[in-house]
Amino acid sequence: MQEGEVIVMSRVLTKSVDVVVLGGGPAGLGAAIRAKEVGSRSVLLVERAEELGGVLPQCIHNGFGLHYFKEELTGPEYAWRLIKKLDKLGVEVLTHTMAIDINADKVVTVVNRDGVIKIKARSVILAMGCRERARGAIRIPGDRPAGVLTAGTVQRLINIEGYLPGERVVVVGSGDIGMIMARRLVLEGAEVAAVVEILPFIGGLIRNEVQCLRDFDIPTYTSHSTIFIHGRNRVKGVTITEVDRKMNPIPGTEKYIECDTVVLSVGLIPENELSRQAGVEIDPSTGGPVVDEVFQTNIPGIFAGGNVVHVHDLADYVTESAEIAAENAVKFAQGQQVVDDTTRVFVEAGENIRYVIPRYVSKSRPASFYMRVSWPLERAVIKIGDIVKRRFPFVRPSEQVRIDVPVEKMKKIEGERLVISCEGTEVIPR
Amino acid sequence: MGLMDSVDVLVIGGGVAGASIVRELSRYELEVAMVEKEADVCFGVTKATHALIHSGIPGKGIPLENRTLLLGNLKMDQLCKDLDVPFERVGKLLVAFNSEELEILRMHEYNCRVGGVPGVELITDVNKIREMEPNISPKVIAALYTPTTGIVSPWELVFGLIENAKKNGVRLYVNAEVKSIFVQQDGSFIVGTEVGDVKSRYIVNAAGFGADSIARLIGDDSFKVTAVREQRIIIDKVYKGLVKHLVRALNGLKTTGDFVAPTVYGDIMIGETIEHPDDVYDVATTRDGLEGRVIPRAKDLVPSLPVRGTIKPFAGNIPRVNLKTEGGYKLIGDYLVKPSLASEKLINVVLTGSGVGAAPAIATYVVEEILPSVGLELKPKDRFDPKREGIPRFAELTDEERAKLIEKDPRWGHVVCRCEMVTEGEIVEAIRRGATTYDGVKFRTRTGMGRCQGGFDRPRVLRILSRELGIPVEKITRKGDGSYEVLYRVKELLLDARRGSDSNV
Repeated sequence: MQEGEVIVMSRVLTKSVDVVVLGGGPAGLGAAIRAKEVGSRSVLLVERAEELGGVLPQCIHNGFGLHYFKEELTGPEYAWRLIKKLDKLGVEVLTHTMAIDINADKVVTVVNRDGVIKIKARSVILAMGCRERARGAIRIPGDRPAGVLTAGTVQRLINIEGYLPGERVVVVGSGDIGMIMARRLVLEGAEVAAVVEILPFIGGLIRNEVQCLRDFDIPTYTSHSTIFIHGRNRVKGVTITEVDRKMNPIPGTEKYIECDTVVLSVGLIPENELSRQAGVEIDPSTGGPVVDEVFQTNIPGIFAGGNVVHVHDLADYVTESAEIAAENAVKFAQGQQVVDDTTRVFVEAGENIRYVIPRYVSKSRPASFYMRVSWPLERAVIKIGDIVKRRFPFVRPSEQVRIDVPVEKMKKIEGERLVISCEGTEVIPR
Repeated sequence: MGLMDSVDVLVIGGGVAGASIVRELSRYELEVAMVEKEADVCFGVTKATHALIHSGIPGKGIPLENRTLLLGNLKMDQLCKDLDVPFERVGKLLVAFNSEELEILRMHEYNCRVGGVPGVELITDVNKIREMEPNISPKVIAALYTPTTGIVSPWELVFGLIENAKKNGVRLYVNAEVKSIFVQQDGSFIVGTEVGDVKSRYIVNAAGFGADSIARLIGDDSFKVTAVREQRIIIDKVYKGLVKHLVRALNGLKTTGDFVAPTVYGDIMIGETIEHPDDVYDVATTRDGLEGRVIPRAKDLVPSLPVRGTIKPFAGNIPRVNLKTEGGYKLIGDYLVKPSLASEKLINVVLTGSGVGAAPAIATYVVEEILPSVGLELKPKDRFDPKREGIPRFAELTDEERAKLIEKDPRWGHVVCRCEMVTEGEIVEAIRRGATTYDGVKFRTRTGMGRCQGGFDRPRVLRILSRELGIPVEKITRKGDGSYEVLYRVKELLLDARRGSDSNV
């Protein structure tokens, strides 16, 4: 080295932890807390927003915590309880920090106002949640004015930023956030001219249909499609039409509805761009990673919990699933075996099952199966291979089904494939 | 309104034609200004073109287009390098599905050789086609390969041209729709706009769909501009690599059929419909267009096309020139670039769908040939600087480069758009360079252009725009002219309603 030569050290910072949790919503908070509780020495939680809680701070309605905390809370209250616990346990937190890359060696690259940090972790918990499907993804034709927003964006604008997007609104789709925002918009002085759903039934939970739409007399059009958005600069209206059973528009049934805002509630998609970068295998039926019964992905040491795996009905279930991922992520970080590879079984969605989690189970372990049906049925029977047969008075796509199978029954699985199916009476013709 | 500027040349319209011309003019000792009726440049035709730089396969009866496409293509590498604009020569495979179409390819191959299109090759070995483009339809039997066909970002090109022109002294006025033009006794003009008047010796009328109305202001009704509407779809960049070249079908004898193309940003563009809307500004998409044409035709070319990865369907209208004849206005296929019949000091410039690729050559033609022929004297500037630096793209930097930017300004460490990984540093820089609307920021930085289409970034970008421009969020628009993003503050409606009921009591 010559005298006077300037040596520029790398500007990129590095860090080592046992468990890194990506995302500080109901899944990430739950996972970080659980990881610390079961004895991990170093847990780091990375959250891109200014504050913890994920989507919870903007969910000012009630209905959270009934299962997890055994009392009814609002979203911010639910988040606050978890955040207090997290603080008490001393989990290290980086907010306002975006994870921009993960590789298969479990090195997570994050950026924040302090710079670029490479975090080497023994195990990674993916808890990035989900995002909303936008207008383009469902290809609603028409003009492209301002005033077409997803329900979650509207929720943020009203509840966090303090802006009301418009005064006469049409909600397209009938997911839970869409219905909750329909009610919120009415409470804020706007008029909700219609909720338009292409399926013959409402997409979200029954309790939201009753409490948000019926109780507020909001006109609801099922089996209707939005075929055109009008307005060059700002939304002026929409044209909706009845659809047949194959969801094709029925000519002559067009109806114009004047509005200045269109709110989309047309589905949520697990957010897995980072997972893909790491080489995590994605299940096309959920949009989330293919996981086994301990929520481990195809890459040993990378776990996933909450809505990044599949979209749950309730935040409570999100937290619970992330806790399972966390317990096993800690075991992995400590060098313990987390799955029994010798008795692995591949799980498949059969008749009238849209998807099932997990995709791999072990015959030597108990398992919890989470699933959604494709179509509503009454007097339904869900079969897990030949080992379990469970009856339900009704099943609906909006309501996730969970079936716990004890180890004695799991041992009876024959072969390496397990098919889950659902039969029953169709009340709404398909 | 008072006089706001006095110039040698005024260019009307901030699309690719106008932008190329002002930048070319800025090489000379001239006072030059541009007026644009929208809130930003590149908010009209150019923004929604197909982003393809043609190789210049000669067409019938379009001598000006043929000549300028070939020349423009040659100029593209240096231009995009100078302006720091993404441009890639991906090459085109113009395909044939049957022996009839193969004969048409042979005709085009011949025309290319005569016309001087470089590197053209007619490929009839299907294995070779498959090797070049593995996902292409097995029904393709031959392809005419033009290696010089390119892809570009049309809006980055316009922003680059304008920024560089401004650096070299050109003045830009936005929201400046032209309302009147007075021809003075000495032949110069007073142009009245929404924001003030401009006195000018020469006018270049590059107003796109407004060009015919502009010409009429001086009594020139020699042409009319009509529209062809083209609907297209952008597919997520996770499918990057699905096609490597522009893969295009024939459209009868013409080379401009349906296509599947990579974009400079890694996503895929498919298109396109050919429609004739009555209203030249009607850029609505339709179910028939998207589901009935664009998707099935693109699938004919690339059967495995992942339509579920749709990010954004959109439509662009491209101008067509109709010249006045005794029997009414008649469509010509070519561009219109010539002095007006009413006053030779006003040059009409109307390009069509291929215009982005021809614009560099059109600009040279207008500045070096047409304007001097009607008396404009050109004296090169001593200190013309051809270079422009683009806004650094955080997503494309190395970690070291990222850390360096953050060290200088921590706003570069705040990711505002997650799908396209755009930071607050880029947003602020875009505003500094002239963005005043959400779309202005979006097209300069790619914020909101990814798969969530603004779901995540929009509230954050609105907040930054509001802070940087010092205007309330409810006054910020998507793209000017009443396109407000949010209409009220929370409780505003409730308070108004209460006030209303109070007054009734």
